[in-house]
Amino acid sequence: MRLNKFSLFLVFFLFTFSSFAQSNNYFYGSFESNGVYYQESESTDYDKKFASNTYLNLKYNLNNKWVFDLQTETYLPKQLQNYSDLLEDTFVSTFSINFNTNNFNFTAGTIYEQFGSGILLRTWEDRQLGINNSLWGLRSSYKKQNLRLVLLGGYQKKANTISEGKVFGFDSEFTVYDKKDSYSNLLVGLSYLGRLEAPHYVSYPFEDLTNSFSARIDYNSDNFYLNYEYAHKSEDGVVKFNVVSETFIKSGNAHQVNAGLIKDGLGLDFTFRRLENMGFYSERVEFGSPFFETTLNYLPALTKQHDYLLTNINVYQSQPNISFQDPSLMKAGEIGFQLDAYYNIKKETFLGGKYGAKISLNISKWNNLKGNYDYESEDYDLDFLGFGEKYFSEQSLEIRKRWSQNFNNIILFVNRYYNKRFVEEKVGEINSKMLVFDNTLKLNGEKSARFEIQHLFTEDDKKNWFGYGLEYNFSYNFSAYFNSIVNYENELEDKPTYSNFGLSFSKNASKFMLSYGKQRGGLMCYGGVCRYVPEFKGLSFSIITSF
Amino acid sequence: MFKKLILLGFSLLCAINLHSQKFVPNIPIETFKGTYTTMSKELSDDSYYILSFWATWCVPCINELDALNEVYDELSKDLNFKVYAISTDDARTKRRVRPLVNGKSWKFDVLLDENHDLKRALNISGLPHTIIAKQNEILHRRVGYAPGEELDLLEKLKDYEVE
Repeated sequence: MRLNKFSLFLVFFLFTFSSFAQSNNYFYGSFESNGVYYQESESTDYDKKFASNTYLNLKYNLNNKWVFDLQTETYLPKQLQNYSDLLEDTFVSTFSINFNTNNFNFTAGTIYEQFGSGILLRTWEDRQLGINNSLWGLRSSYKKQNLRLVLLGGYQKKANTISEGKVFGFDSEFTVYDKKDSYSNLLVGLSYLGRLEAPHYVSYPFEDLTNSFSARIDYNSDNFYLNYEYAHKSEDGVVKFNVVSETFIKSGNAHQVNAGLIKDGLGLDFTFRRLENMGFYSERVEFGSPFFETTLNYLPALTKQHDYLLTNINVYQSQPNISFQDPSLMKAGEIGFQLDAYYNIKKETFLGGKYGAKISLNISKWNNLKGNYDYESEDYDLDFLGFGEKYFSEQSLEIRKRWSQNFNNIILFVNRYYNKRFVEEKVGEINSKMLVFDNTLKLNGEKSARFEIQHLFTEDDKKNWFGYGLEYNFSYNFSAYFNSIVNYENELEDKPTYSNFGLSFSKNASKFMLSYGKQRGGLMCYGGVCRYVPEFKGLSFSIITSF
Repeated sequence: MFKKLILLGFSLLCAINLHSQKFVPNIPIETFKGTYTTMSKELSDDSYYILSFWATWCVPCINELDALNEVYDELSKDLNFKVYAISTDDARTKRRVRPLVNGKSWKFDVLLDENHDLKRALNISGLPHTIIAKQNEILHRRVGYAPGEELDLLEKLKDYEVE
């Protein structure tokens, strides 16, 4: 679906329209452009070449009831490394007309929606990852007293085209009781999502229509909350080595329990989740697409999300799917838990000192589903609550402490086990420990400096890493940074080092960034979604503005 | 290619010069209780609002909110303003929001923008992103956070109050 001329027409139409508009009717939007000159790249397609991704979003508000929304994307001369090959040239990426009142909303065109926690459906955009799995169709939502209802149907966007499968469903939520001026309430929800994909070239020995539903219950009170969600997906062919199997046919299900305890200064949160064959795509053959094309649901890794260079090496990716690679590597999903604790040590106490301190603890453990797996006959028999091979475990402790008006720091310790064999289907297991010191010093006026050092200790895989970073804020608007990580005990290469230097300038709702350096290749994760990226060295820029 | 780039550039310039987003859109947003409210309901008082878009995994966002929290009591004596910390955590980290806010003893109201409906409607690309609004009218917005910047933000707020 290429709509270049149509898009240009629309842009001009809306601009013309808006110049006659009253104050209640106005135009707004955003512009983002990210470009890289690849001085060196592991990928020969990019070596010594320039690539850029540009997004222009325009919205028009009419009488505070209607919003017209258009986004064009430009990939010139080609898309950045590791974005889908289908993203090329300029095209209209999303377009929608929305009508909105307090209780009723109607959308025609691009739909972003999430049912419950996203186990059945989540459509969203993440430019950093090149994800936009929005639907193209109709959606309406209605809210009346205790009931909230969403109905939708359409096709799914697949880069600059739309996918084969039809998708339709509803989400409902009912408030059983809700006490005013307190946290106390009880909610129940029910969702359905159907995916109809009937390719003309093949007749599957299972239904073309795959049905999925989920039910959830959510209890909240002032100091405690508890919720449970169950989801089921009907029988469907398992995708094995990129082919939809006609013999290996399984249904899927998910259980998620979450509970928390809240007291002033203390917060505890616990989640248990079991996923069995829950990957869901609007096009079956896109299963496991590295660009998340046609993915319908969101099943993120439930682990601490890290923000430092070394703690981001070997992070967990959720394992919701069936994978029979060989008789020694068979998976049907994942089971595990995560615990978070937050504690505020008060000011003027023995441990807290003059300024107090904040502590957070995270513990997580994820395993394969335990059971009898039969490679030859493509079948398994699972223990419902059995923990199979361990995929991942982590314990981390973070302490944030202010020492004076002008100086504060963060100390982070992480202990991690990562089963590369089972998670990435490669070789090895990695036990590692990481330590990070992140220090911020406020200087005169608007100036401040940040200094961080980090170390990753491991006897496995590529052995030890060391890293440091410096950031200097010349003013609130302008800053410069330098960071470097070195794998100083690597046995295959001589101390691979990844250093980056960058400048950042921001003013109101605009930001401009320029950086030069070498990026580590391998599995990169952002927002719980991971992808392999080749190593490269180059000059990057980024412009973001909202208007 | 150049024709297209010129066109894009032109559209952008037109847009920046002639127009800008004036109001916080009135869309439904989730509360800690899992129920929904609307932005115009939340911003209906005749006071100034700071809307800070953040996430539990965003270190500078938490630095900004920690810093605002430190000066909040002192400043709210003289200034008539309210802070909404709008979490953009999705299903991966959303459950962590309430315990984290309690563990930090933040005094602000928190709203949950789990699938980024408000973030998208306000055309926000990067975090942290902070908006000053009077009722639902947008007066000022900025991206990023540098240590001490919370004071600059509050100065801006004072200027608006004096006006």
